[in-house]
Amino acid sequence: MFRLLEETGFTRVKSVVVPGFRFRKQSTQNSAEAYGVKAVLFTATRPAAG
Amino acid sequence: MTDPVQQQESLEAVLKDEIIRMYQDVAENPQAEYHFYHGRQAAELFGYETAWLDRAPAGAVASFAGVGNPHLRSNLQPGETVVDLGSGAGLDSIIASWRVGPSGRVIGVDLNPAMCLKAQANAAATGTRMECREGRMEDIPLADATADVVISNGVINLSFRKRRVVQELHRILKPGGRLAFTDIVSAKQLSQSIVNDPKLWAS
Repeated sequence: MFRLLEETGFTRVKSVVVPGFRFRKQSTQNSAEAYGVKAVLFTATRPAAG
Repeated sequence: MTDPVQQQESLEAVLKDEIIRMYQDVAENPQAEYHFYHGRQAAELFGYETAWLDRAPAGAVASFAGVGNPHLRSNLQPGETVVDLGSGAGLDSIIASWRVGPSGRVIGVDLNPAMCLKAQANAAATGTRMECREGRMEDIPLADATADVVISNGVINLSFRKRRVVQELHRILKPGGRLAFTDIVSAKQLSQSIVNDPKLWAS
């Protein structure tokens, strides 16, 4: 997603992992961890001249 | 052999139905348990201010199905126009409307027209207002350069065409406009069995 935002023309792209995000069901959480699934907060800016 | 484009379109149609079904179910049965945390418990976990959750309509809070808190970094200012992509029952739109004030404007976009009506009713119950447009995130029903800020919460990950969604976000933002959204990302390529299963993908 980070790269996608930059490739589309966004600047000042930042990301931070959402602390505390997890799935309620342990089996889903285990699968999510196996795939490196995380919740992330992204911010980005459309350039003033873009 | 099935045309890959036709196959994707078919899968997207099924996914659209599954997304509508799942999130409408959360809105109509917030007391039920889902495999993700939702409602006030989730909002508190993600740092939503207690005052917001106390002030917002109970139905909007109970139906909250976000994966984080875009308000932590949205830096909304009075008078700004905010688009809430995938506005659901409207909690994030309502909070945004409080932050931009009466001189600002909040426009929700949701796949499900029933959720648009619910969000608008929830906003009205708090004495604020939002507009809500039925539409897909891959073809956002808004003019170019509409928004000062776009917020979204656990929605973009539901799309098969994320590049298209990001292009749409760029299009509807004014030059100098900002994005603040939370989303689910995966470090590894998801297996084809997950990609081809609308129930799992909609989750």
